[in-house]
Amino acid sequence: MSLSLLTEFEPLKDTMPVVEMRHVTISFDGPPVLNDISFRVAPNETRILLGPAGVGKSVMLKLINGLLKPDNGDVLLFGDQISVMPEEELLALRARTGMVFQEGALFDSLTVRDNVGYQLIEEKKLTNEEIDAKVQESLRFVGLEETFLLFPSSLSGGMRRRVAIARALINKPELLLYDSPTGGLDPVTSTNIISLIVKQRDVNRTPSLLVTHRLQDAFTMCTHRFDEEKGEMVPMPKGETDPNTTFMMLNDGQLIFDGSLHELLHSENPFVKEFLE
Amino acid sequence: MAIQTLDRTAKQVVLTVQDYSIFAWRSLMNLFRPPVYWSDFLMQSDIIGVGSISIVLLSGFFTGAVLALQSAATLSAFGATGVTGRFVSLTMIRELGAVLTGIMVSGRNASSMASELGSMVVTEQIDAMRALGVDPLRKLVTPRIYATISMLFFLTIVADAFGILGGAAVTVFLNHQNGTQYFSMAWESLFFRDIAQGLVKPLFFGYIIASIGCFYGMKTTGGTQGVGRSTIQAVVTSSVLIIVADFLITHVMLSFWPS
Repeated sequence: MSLSLLTEFEPLKDTMPVVEMRHVTISFDGPPVLNDISFRVAPNETRILLGPAGVGKSVMLKLINGLLKPDNGDVLLFGDQISVMPEEELLALRARTGMVFQEGALFDSLTVRDNVGYQLIEEKKLTNEEIDAKVQESLRFVGLEETFLLFPSSLSGGMRRRVAIARALINKPELLLYDSPTGGLDPVTSTNIISLIVKQRDVNRTPSLLVTHRLQDAFTMCTHRFDEEKGEMVPMPKGETDPNTTFMMLNDGQLIFDGSLHELLHSENPFVKEFLE
Repeated sequence: MAIQTLDRTAKQVVLTVQDYSIFAWRSLMNLFRPPVYWSDFLMQSDIIGVGSISIVLLSGFFTGAVLALQSAATLSAFGATGVTGRFVSLTMIRELGAVLTGIMVSGRNASSMASELGSMVVTEQIDAMRALGVDPLRKLVTPRIYATISMLFFLTIVADAFGILGGAAVTVFLNHQNGTQYFSMAWESLFFRDIAQGLVKPLFFGYIIASIGCFYGMKTTGGTQGVGRSTIQAVVTSSVLIIVADFLITHVMLSFWPS
């Protein structure tokens, strides 16, 4: 296991929110997918966005990264208003974030090495040997060093997600966005992926936003921590939860819940209750 | 109801033209601002230029051959079979070389660009590229546009040359006429205006093929079915636009250099 990602990482120093949405609305040829959404992600905070499929969770992540523009409202990333920012400035800002897409979104014509090192290769600041070393380090973090020269088509679904996580981590992002990283995977592989996300959260302390509709993954994130000595994810003492991991829930385009695990479990909102049951 | 449908369709057409204009202009202008992806340009030139050479060579050769066959039958009625070389070379260089090459390359490469980029869109690879701080327009579209423009120019020359050779083969081996006469007529009848017309057209056609192919690819929606739809739209639109542009360019160039 490599912890050098930790040593080189520089978290945001101020208390300004890493992400902030203010009254954001977006629609696609119909009723709003997201309607008047406001929330914040603080430094070192991990936010889990819950909700049924097709409710606009992925749209929210793409809005945060400037891949989509809202119809109304403001989106602030690292304090910069990105709703009206031109694409060229957005590209530079996006390079400071890491995003894991729903199906991995690996470039199928490139090897794992070129996929993971894509950002470094495009920046042209490092030599090939330096890029190889960084790619190996990132692949080691997700336990897939042996896939260095393989193409994505020869990897399993779970391996592709892990490679996607390695690609998102390689440039020491200041914010991580996970779009249903366990969607469509079997329970064992899902737990491995969640374990990696918990490891990233506890080792590197990168603020992150994780989209999922799987309650089990969300609760595991909140009730487990990464034990650096054992090199694995372990449950926290009974009754304890990670204080920096909080929840949001979307339904019908509205943010119907924003709070801690305890508040989620005791929510009186009928949809939240139904979702939890 | 009908008026609403008409209204919606008209708006859609105007929006598509607007989107295409912005897309095509930005892709073209990207060459003048860094980063410029020269390695991608070379790779695309290889795929588009070298990859298309066999179909261009064959279609050029047999078009020239069929022109010689058809014209000889008509010209013999006037006792003018000796001008077959002139007829074939002028037709190939001024019109058919550029248009046929454009349509052949459109069928091969506009479809390939639309399907390749369309697949990348539906599997979120384009979004991933943007999320990694790389502009897909610069990385994927601009190299394809400039590679197609430059390669179509050379492919048209190849098609012209092989068209004239095809005409010569028919004239000599099937019509049993004099090859030297064929080539001297083909050469003597050519002027700068003819060459200029034939070589300006592929520059525009190349731009149409690549920009339309990439535009439909990047606008793909609706999964794998959408990729198929984009591919068809790219080939049909670029082929029709090539013929329309051919008429306009010919009209403009004839007003500069009347025959």
